[in-house]
Amino acid sequence: MGQKLQLKPNQSLLDRFRAMRETRFGAFVPVLFALAAIWIYFGLALPLVDLLTGDEETFRSIFLSPRNIYNLFMQSAVIATLAVGITIVLLLGDIDLSAAATAGVCAALLGVLVLAGVPGWLACLMVIGVGIVMGAAQGLLVAYVGIPSFVVTLAGLLGYQGLMQKILPTGNLNVGDVFVRGIARVLIPDLWGLLLGLVCITAFAFLNLRKQAQRRAKGLELDSNMALWGQVVIFGVLVMAVIFTLNAYRSLPLLLVLLVGITTLLGWITTSTPFGRSLFAVGGNPESARRVGMNVRRLRVAAFGIVGLMAAVGGIFGASRFGSVSYTAFAGGSLLLEAIGAAVIGGTSLFGGRGSVWNAILGALVIGSLGNGLDLTGASAADKLMVSGAILILAVSIDAASRSGPGGGQ
Amino acid sequence: MALVGDNGAGKSTLMKVFAGAHIAEEGRFFLDGNEVTIGNPQDATALGIQIVYQDLALCENLDVAANLSLGAEPVKPGWGFIPRILRPLDDLQMEVTAKKAIDSLEVRTLQSVRAKVGGLSGGQRQAIAIARAVGAKSSVVMLDEPTAALGVAQTRQVLEVVKRLRDTNHAVVYISHNMRDIFEVSDRICVLRHGGNVATFTTAETDPDEIVAAMTRGLDGAKTAA
Repeated sequence: MGQKLQLKPNQSLLDRFRAMRETRFGAFVPVLFALAAIWIYFGLALPLVDLLTGDEETFRSIFLSPRNIYNLFMQSAVIATLAVGITIVLLLGDIDLSAAATAGVCAALLGVLVLAGVPGWLACLMVIGVGIVMGAAQGLLVAYVGIPSFVVTLAGLLGYQGLMQKILPTGNLNVGDVFVRGIARVLIPDLWGLLLGLVCITAFAFLNLRKQAQRRAKGLELDSNMALWGQVVIFGVLVMAVIFTLNAYRSLPLLLVLLVGITTLLGWITTSTPFGRSLFAVGGNPESARRVGMNVRRLRVAAFGIVGLMAAVGGIFGASRFGSVSYTAFAGGSLLLEAIGAAVIGGTSLFGGRGSVWNAILGALVIGSLGNGLDLTGASAADKLMVSGAILILAVSIDAASRSGPGGGQ
Repeated sequence: MALVGDNGAGKSTLMKVFAGAHIAEEGRFFLDGNEVTIGNPQDATALGIQIVYQDLALCENLDVAANLSLGAEPVKPGWGFIPRILRPLDDLQMEVTAKKAIDSLEVRTLQSVRAKVGGLSGGQRQAIAIARAVGAKSSVVMLDEPTAALGVAQTRQVLEVVKRLRDTNHAVVYISHNMRDIFEVSDRICVLRHGGNVATFTTAETDPDEIVAAMTRGLDGAKTAA
């Protein structure tokens, strides 16, 4: 009869793993482990091998240096932006293959606009608008015509790649606009960065404690104090570690602050609004969402619109960071697969209904760290591709394994 | 009130008409003695008619509280300047409501309203689907074969919930094949056959054999059109 919900002592390791992933912060654990493993390998294990073999000249201790961490974050930022957007449609159980091409079109358009003398901020707003329209147009086809999102966005991928080549016949354009370049170049002064971090930690702790107090007042079950303070402490340590590391090289770049800000907003929307709740509901059981009166079609269009928005923002970030727009950096390169890989490695399910935008950022860091670390060790492009493939398979296997439990499968 | 009939007798179709999912070609609806019209699912909800479908329509990836308020999530007051769909959810209120609904049905085996539905047993899920129907301020609750896929113990659990529902002044329409369940929970039994209404029995004055006979052969000469 009443199946107990608590952990039983005779549970297998896999069951415990599944139970852990069901908790609010447990979903972060696998991707954090992956990230830690990669950093330990490139940052500690390889230098130690060098040290033991006495090969002073090839001593590879640069991976965990502040300078490399800074570069790593900046390299991963564009992937992370797209991955955050793609997570939104993955939650619905759809996929967007055209995100990188959309980012490319937006970046190319941005370059052409600022070259024509349009002020940087206006050009940015315009391409964001274009991105939303490009995404929502695909959403309309998926929701109202009923074509599977895979096919629609595959067509979008091809079409937008062509469009980008039309906008940039030479395949390359330098972007010198001060406003656009500023996004990646402006650094938050050290002290302000620290203050910002402290404000974030205080707000996080305050919100958590207030929620706990409200739970107590309403007589609801409470989170254990250890879990509560554990969250606050881990969050605080991570934030401060990142800020101190970045300050040790340069400073906190505006680009990262913007990325975290947008992700916070999207994270809040997906978990704490009726809109976000309906995203999860449709991903879990579209029929039930429809029966309780949710407008599933409009929801799909909105979700694809958000991917378009994030793709445009990714395009702006990319143009800002590289100082140029090129076909291979966006539409024609590996950006799309890296972004989808980042979302999935982060733990967002391809089957819909489970995931988080924060996991996408961590997933992007995993992908970025792999690429960066393999580059530093002088691995060939072939090695990089194969290792990336293996990591992706591993991530999806973990997803499948944690899903196919009793009652958990569909 | 129990609704019985052989496969294809029109039980589920009749229920979908009540729910507004299908539109009736003829006939009139009466609710509490007043004639009403049901043209779509929203009409039915507004009249307090709630359906628990055979497949339950729960989202396994969400927790119990979220499932109970699905589609009618409470939002925090004071955010009137943004569209309702983007206002902050009042998830604590959601849990309070969910706890109240679960407690009123006395589902004792459910330990937390924050448990994911994907990890619950069939009986618990059925109870949650019923709780959702009750929570929506309903006066009529229709259950489509609620015990069809359940084991003995879980069936017992659901029947207790149904009785509890009857005791809290809900009109319950219970669709089933299972004679034992029906005789346990119903006051009246309505038999359908080939899309028509055969007869309505009072449970206390009839027995399973008579019902089965009416289901399979109809009443001799008493076959009335619906």
